[in-house]
Amino acid sequence: MLKRLTCFFLALLLAFSFSPASLWAFEPSPEDRELLNKIEKDTFQYFTRFSDKLTGLTKDSSRAGSPTSVAATGFALAAYAIGASRGWITRDYAYGRILTTLQMLRHKAAHQEGFFYHFLDNKTGKRVWGSEASSIDTALAVAGALLAAQYYPGTEVDKLAREIYERVNWKWMMNGSDFICMGWTPESKFLPYYWDSYNELMLLVALAVGSPTFPVPPRAWERWLRPEGDFNGHKVVYASTGALFTYQFSHAYIDFRGLDDRGINFFENSREATLANREYSLSFAGKYKGYSESSWGLSSSVGPGGYKAYGGKPGGGIQDGTIAPYAALSSIVFTPELSTKAARFFYDHYQQELYGNFGFKDAFNVDKGWWATEYLGIDQGITLLMLENYLNGESVWKKFMTLPAVKKWIELTGLNSRSASTAVATSGAL
Amino acid sequence: MNPNRRRQFFINRPLQTRFMLAVTVPLLLINLVAMGGLYFGIWSKVLDTFSDEQTLNDLVTASRMVEYEQARHTPGTPSFSSLSFFKSTEKLGERQREVFKEILNEANRSLFWKFSLLLVLIAWGTIFISHKIAGPFFRFSQAFGTLEKGDYRARVFLRKLDEGIPAAEEFNEALEKSDRFLSDLKALTLEKDATQAVARIKEKLSQVKTSADA
Repeated sequence: MLKRLTCFFLALLLAFSFSPASLWAFEPSPEDRELLNKIEKDTFQYFTRFSDKLTGLTKDSSRAGSPTSVAATGFALAAYAIGASRGWITRDYAYGRILTTLQMLRHKAAHQEGFFYHFLDNKTGKRVWGSEASSIDTALAVAGALLAAQYYPGTEVDKLAREIYERVNWKWMMNGSDFICMGWTPESKFLPYYWDSYNELMLLVALAVGSPTFPVPPRAWERWLRPEGDFNGHKVVYASTGALFTYQFSHAYIDFRGLDDRGINFFENSREATLANREYSLSFAGKYKGYSESSWGLSSSVGPGGYKAYGGKPGGGIQDGTIAPYAALSSIVFTPELSTKAARFFYDHYQQELYGNFGFKDAFNVDKGWWATEYLGIDQGITLLMLENYLNGESVWKKFMTLPAVKKWIELTGLNSRSASTAVATSGAL
Repeated sequence: MNPNRRRQFFINRPLQTRFMLAVTVPLLLINLVAMGGLYFGIWSKVLDTFSDEQTLNDLVTASRMVEYEQARHTPGTPSFSSLSFFKSTEKLGERQREVFKEILNEANRSLFWKFSLLLVLIAWGTIFISHKIAGPFFRFSQAFGTLEKGDYRARVFLRKLDEGIPAAEEFNEALEKSDRFLSDLKALTLEKDATQAVARIKEKLSQVKTSADA
C-alpha cells in the first residue's frame, strides 16, 4: 500500500513538474489563471463572430463597415485551431472554418505574386481601399495558415496551407534590393518603404528565407539594421516606433528563446523592451493618471485622436495617456507577473467600460475619459496567441518550430541554438 | 394620293392582335428586365452604399486607412494635419469609385445573364410563332405544286394553332369545287353520245370565267 502511495505521489509530482504552468518561474494564482483563461476564450470569440461564414475572411475591426484584414484572417486560422484544441469549439467545426478560409485565400482572394492585398472585401475577397499587396500582412496570414495546418496534418487544410505558402514569391518582393519591400500596388508598383530595420519583420523574413519555392537569400536576414538604444538601463534593439507589438508579433509564432543572433537573443530583447516601455509610461505617471505600476502598454492602437503608433523609448515614444491593454497582455511570455497584474488591474478597475464579449477593447485613455468601443483583429490575435503560449504549454511555439521552413531559416541564418531554460528562468522573474 | 395607301388598319383583327402581342410582349419583357435590373442592380445598391450610415462608416474607415499607413510608414507624422485630411478625402474618393465600379460591373454581369436567358426564350418563342406561319405557307406551297402537276385532289391540312386556318378552309372548298367540276367534265367525255356530251360540256364551261373570255 505504501509503495503504491509513494508511486502515486511520485507520478503526481512528475506530472506537475511537466505541466504548462511549471515552464514559467512565475505561477499566477488560480483566480488569475482563471481570468487569463477567460480573457483568452473571450478574445477567441472575436474570430468566430467577425469572420464571414461563407468566405472565412475576418474583419479588421469590430466597427461597422470595416473591411477584411488579411493579417486578422491569418490570426483567425490560428484561433480556430487553438479553439478546437482547447475544446471551445468542436474539431470538425474548426476544420470546416479553416478549410473555408483557406479555400478563399487559395482560390479567390486578390493577390499579387502570392502576396495578399492588405484589405479585402469581406464577401468577395477583392482588393478594397486601394490597399497594397502587403508583405507583412501576407506573412501573418501564411503563419496562421501553417500553424492551423500543424493541427490537421495530412488533410486538405495542410495541402492548401502549403500551396498558399509556396505560391508567395518572396524574392520578387525584394525588388532587387537587400530587403523585402513593404508592399506593391498596381498603380504605383513597389512602395518606397522596405523592411530594413528591426520591428515586426522577423516572422516575415523567417518565412521568406525558409520558403521552399521562392526563398530570399540569408543576407535578407543579416542585413536589416539592429539599432541599439537604452531606457532606464534597459538595453534594447529597438523598433523606430517603440510600439510594444513590434516586439511581440514574431514571437507569437517563433520561440526565440533558444536562438542567438550574433549575440542578440530577441526573446530577452522583447522582455527588456517591455520593461522599458512600461517604465517609460510610468515616467509620465505624474502627468497622466492612467499610467501606473499595473496600468501600462504603449503600442499602436486606436486613441482619442485616431489610430496612432503609440510607443515607448527607445523609439518614437509617442504617448498621450492612452493605454492598449492588448500590449501589456501580449507581453505575458516576456513579463508574466507584470502582465498578469496588468490584466487583473484592467479587469478589476475598468471592466465596465473596457471589457466586452470579446475580451478587452482596443484601448482607453482615463485622462481624457475616452474608451475604445471597438476591437481590432490583429490586436485580438496577438493577445490570443501569446496567452495560448503562456497558458497552454507553449503549444503554438511547439507546433510552429517544427515546420521545415522554420528549421531551414534557422539553419541558413546560423541562428545558434542555446539552452532555452536560461531564457525561461530569467523571464519568469518578471 | 397614294392609291396603295392603307385605309383600314385592322384587316384581320384577331390575326393582327396576335402578331401585335407576339412583338410587344417580348419587348415589354426586355424593358422590364432592363429597368428591374438597373433599378435593383444599380440604384438600390447606390442608395444602400451611399446611405448616411454607410457614408459615415466610409468616412471613418478612410481616415483609419490613412492612420494605418502613417503608423506603418511615417509614424512620426502628426495624426491630424491638412495632409492627412486630403489623404482621407482621396481615399474616400478612391473607395467610392471602387464601389461604383463594382456596382456597375455587378449590374452588368447580372443583366448579361438575364438578357442571355431572355434571348434564349425569345429565340425559342420566335421559332414557335414563325412556325405557325411558315407551316401553313409550306403546306399551301405543296398544294400548289400538286395542282401544277394536274392533281386536283390536293388539300391543305393545317395544325390546330396554325395561322390561316380559315383561308385553308376556303382554299380547300374552292379546290373541291374545281375538282368536282373537272371530274364532271371527265365523266362527260366518257359518254357514248358525243353530240350531247359536247353540248353539256359547253354548257358547264359557259359558267366558268377564264382569260379566254372576251
